[in-house]
Amino acid sequence: MQDNWKISGRQFYLLVILYSIGTTILITVNSLANAAGQDAWIPVIIGIVINVLLVWLYNSLAKLYPGMGFVEAVQVALGKWPGKAVSILFIVFPFIGSVLTVSIMGNFVTTLMMPETPVVFINILFAAVVVLGVRLGIETVARTTEILFPIVVFFIIFLIVFSIPELELKNIQPVFEAGIGSILKGAIIFLGIFSLPQVVLLMVFPVGLNREGKEGSFFYKGVLAAGAVILTITIFCIMVLSTDITSHSMYPVYTLAKKISIGDTIERVEAVIAGLWFITIFIRTAVYFYAATLGLSQVLGLKDYRPITLPMGMLVVAISLIVYPDASYEIMWDTEVWPIYALVHGLCLPLLVLVTGLIRSKKHVSGGLSS
Amino acid sequence: MANILGVISAAAAIIALEVPGLIRKKLKGELWVFLGLLAIGVVLSFLIALEVDVPSPLEAIAFIYKPMGDIIFGMLER
Repeated sequence: MQDNWKISGRQFYLLVILYSIGTTILITVNSLANAAGQDAWIPVIIGIVINVLLVWLYNSLAKLYPGMGFVEAVQVALGKWPGKAVSILFIVFPFIGSVLTVSIMGNFVTTLMMPETPVVFINILFAAVVVLGVRLGIETVARTTEILFPIVVFFIIFLIVFSIPELELKNIQPVFEAGIGSILKGAIIFLGIFSLPQVVLLMVFPVGLNREGKEGSFFYKGVLAAGAVILTITIFCIMVLSTDITSHSMYPVYTLAKKISIGDTIERVEAVIAGLWFITIFIRTAVYFYAATLGLSQVLGLKDYRPITLPMGMLVVAISLIVYPDASYEIMWDTEVWPIYALVHGLCLPLLVLVTGLIRSKKHVSGGLSS
Repeated sequence: MANILGVISAAAAIIALEVPGLIRKKLKGELWVFLGLLAIGVVLSFLIALEVDVPSPLEAIAFIYKPMGDIIFGMLER
């Protein structure tokens, strides 16, 4: 094994929450409102239910391949060379994921907070923090979640409590107006950004936990907690802002935070709320980037993934500048391509590995990699 | 010109940070992968710094997955 870290079940639980909230809280709500109108919260509920089944799939994989990261499991399941080929395709997924999150972060900061700063500096700064975290190891990142989690909880409660006076029930009525097709479309978009990328956590999940056996329940708990947050935020955006503003605003939760005004003295809290996204997006980018670098080093048979983090970080920054040619391409990509891309990597590939594993398990599976 | 200098100094800093350790520990494979990735990164950064029109990697992925997405979302919209 390349990395001798161990994280506790509780740290993994917090990691799942922050990772799943990640970019979802920033970019999904408007796509959901676009797809399903005032029923945007229904796809979220459907998505969470499907997500629980997905976690069951990931947990079964973890049981079948104990002590292996996903890339190693793929190589054991499919044989050495086909396994390596599929692994490389899989690694592209978290790599593109980290490029996209860095780019989303840069766009967000330059559009809303620092319009005069060239986006490249924001991206370099953010990627540098991510590379630093990943070089120190995922254990460090997992411990960071323990420090940052109370801050996230505080911001979310703050956002929710002070939005309550603005709630308008009529904005969410009539319920079930969107057709079943639109609701399913919304569910696929939600799954694509919230649930399916959790497959990347399989690079951390069974191998890195210090207590074998009970770790599966932490995965479920984390997903349910993060799902509850996204569900609440979606309902609040629709009820406070109305469907129109939610679907037309690029960052609806930011607009929601702008509405907060406490006795005309506490205003403009949205910049503070943005701190919440810096935290969750950092965790998601760090896990993506860790999975990409660790996966690449495992495929190439390197002893340590750390030496390649810096050049990979340079690649991430370079590609993040060109990844979205324009805003309309970004919307098309986020709602029409990414969910399918995530479906193939987050559902089809784990299913394939699970099924081949089950067929082989009659012979011999837990032998591990011979490299 | 400032862009190019920025890329060169970033690459130099990365080499200065990483290569001495790799040579000392005799990690040959790591060194080659490191240099390969860095070369790709530097070339790509140069192209972007010179404002050459580099296609987004998303287009390759969209080429494969967009038709599948069109089929799935097309079925839902009926």
